[in-house]
Amino acid sequence: MTTKQDTERSALATTNDRLTDWYQALIERGTARIGVYLVLALYLVWTLFPVYWMLSGTLKNRSELLASPPYLIPPNPNIDSWFQLFAVRDSFHIFIINSAVVTIGTTIFVVTVGTMATYGLVKFDFPREAGRFWLPFGTLATRFLPPIIMVIPLFVIFQNIGIIDSWIALILSYSGFTIPFVVWMMVGFFQELPDSIVEAAIMDGRTHFGAFFRVVLPIVKPGLIASTIFVLITSWNELLFAVILTQTLDAQTLPVALATFEEQFQTNWELLTVASSIAMLPPMAFAFIVRDQLIRGFTMGAVN
Amino acid sequence: MSTETGGQLTQETDSHKERLLLVIDDNLKWVLTLPALLTLLGLMFYPITRAMYMSLFRFLPTGNEFVGIENYVELLTNESFLESLWITAKFTTVSVAVSMVLGFGIAVLLNRNLKFRGLIQTLSLVPIIVAPTVIALLWQLMYTPGGIADALTSSVLGGTVQWLSNPDIALWAIVITDIWQWTPLVVLVMLAGLQAIPEHVTEAAIIDGASRWQRFVDITLPYMRQLIVLTLIIRIIGSMREFAKVFVLTRGGPAGATNVVSIELYHEAFQFGNFGTASAMALILLVLVIAIAFLFVKIARVQF
Repeated sequence: MTTKQDTERSALATTNDRLTDWYQALIERGTARIGVYLVLALYLVWTLFPVYWMLSGTLKNRSELLASPPYLIPPNPNIDSWFQLFAVRDSFHIFIINSAVVTIGTTIFVVTVGTMATYGLVKFDFPREAGRFWLPFGTLATRFLPPIIMVIPLFVIFQNIGIIDSWIALILSYSGFTIPFVVWMMVGFFQELPDSIVEAAIMDGRTHFGAFFRVVLPIVKPGLIASTIFVLITSWNELLFAVILTQTLDAQTLPVALATFEEQFQTNWELLTVASSIAMLPPMAFAFIVRDQLIRGFTMGAVN
Repeated sequence: MSTETGGQLTQETDSHKERLLLVIDDNLKWVLTLPALLTLLGLMFYPITRAMYMSLFRFLPTGNEFVGIENYVELLTNESFLESLWITAKFTTVSVAVSMVLGFGIAVLLNRNLKFRGLIQTLSLVPIIVAPTVIALLWQLMYTPGGIADALTSSVLGGTVQWLSNPDIALWAIVITDIWQWTPLVVLVMLAGLQAIPEHVTEAAIIDGASRWQRFVDITLPYMRQLIVLTLIIRIIGSMREFAKVFVLTRGGPAGATNVVSIELYHEAFQFGNFGTASAMALILLVLVIAIAFLFVKIARVQF
């Protein structure tokens, strides 16, 4: 009798214990989860708010923009500032054209030349293991160079040969430091590419050079797209070289216009918000296409 | 008659073209690699050599005078340059430390089965791809007197803050923008690293009864050491060469409080025309960058 009662009691106790444990775990896990989501929400707000503030600022007029206390949401949203920027600052579109020409020129040149060189160095024999050891090491080493070292000599050199303040000066100087980016991003793709694919194409009567363009490049397309977008964004955003190597509307780019907006146009915040947004949107549009490879590029391949 | 000549002509151009293609294929490794190698030689290695050479001269309106290492000696005893190194050191240390800790923490939180993880990763790209010039303007708009930054902090700080015009605050106001720019990058890199930790290792530890904290110390940290050091180096290099945000926000002011090395260098070269001294500064910066990277690699015994 007693034993039966004891078992019943202990069974009840374990159920009770189990219930308490389960309840405890629920609370702990639940609050932990809520805590995690709270921190992440804060992180997202912190990361995105400045961008929201600028973009929503383009929909306010000057007094709304600088009102104190500020309007979190545009009270009378309108896009007047977008038209005003081009109407009042009638030279503004020139900065955009300069930026576009320099960015596209750099990208075409750098991606072509960089891809060719990477393929050559990986697939052909060079003395002293150039392709296999020195290439990755060398490209990594160039990433340690502060670009400011190159900018003073380039200023002197370009002045001497008379191409200072021109598109070509910017394209050339951007090429110098973006080729290693392309090499770094492409090297893995070519190392993984089996030689037999090229050999088969040559057997079919193609030249090796032709096979490179018709057969190899389509296979490494993901790497090409990532490199292209990476160089596009880097050149579009560049300020240091642009501010030093250009002096007039002949070649000044959008970042230069933004950085010297105060001197050129006075601080007109309602126009500056529009100008900033124009500079901000193309990289965003590009970036979301190739998120993962971009991350790899921006971290110097720290993530493989 | 005329058709015959035409036929001959096409035949001839065809054979020319074929011969050219053969020549290209015979020398393919050089055809592929030389354009990039020449570009790098002319636009990277030559400028750096030229900078070394220029750093040995004093630039005067009457001509350049060879002074040997005098520029370096003067710089290392020059209070203004040493001050700018100190400002760069403060800027870099605080920005790197805060962004690493925040970034690692958020990555650990994200490294579990969460809804929206992909979305958070994608949105983390935003500060990474926005031009530093635009980042500066995003924050300048928020730092405007009586603006959103004041609205958010005045209840805590009990009044408005002169974010960019108070010499005691301006540097830290820019450090905040640097932290904003780089924390998401640390998040993305660290998250990729955390996800590469093999699951069976963690599971084995759970079966052995290791607590969450033990697993963090004995599994996560050792696995992540290499990546943490690499990210640290990338971050340090990134902040040591900071130019755009300071250039836009303060130009080194107020009262030289934000005069980081690259801004000091810019003024030395392009305001005072001392290309020799400025080149010497750039090389000192390069040596410091390499020394710090080397030190971290040595201390952490990282293998590439």
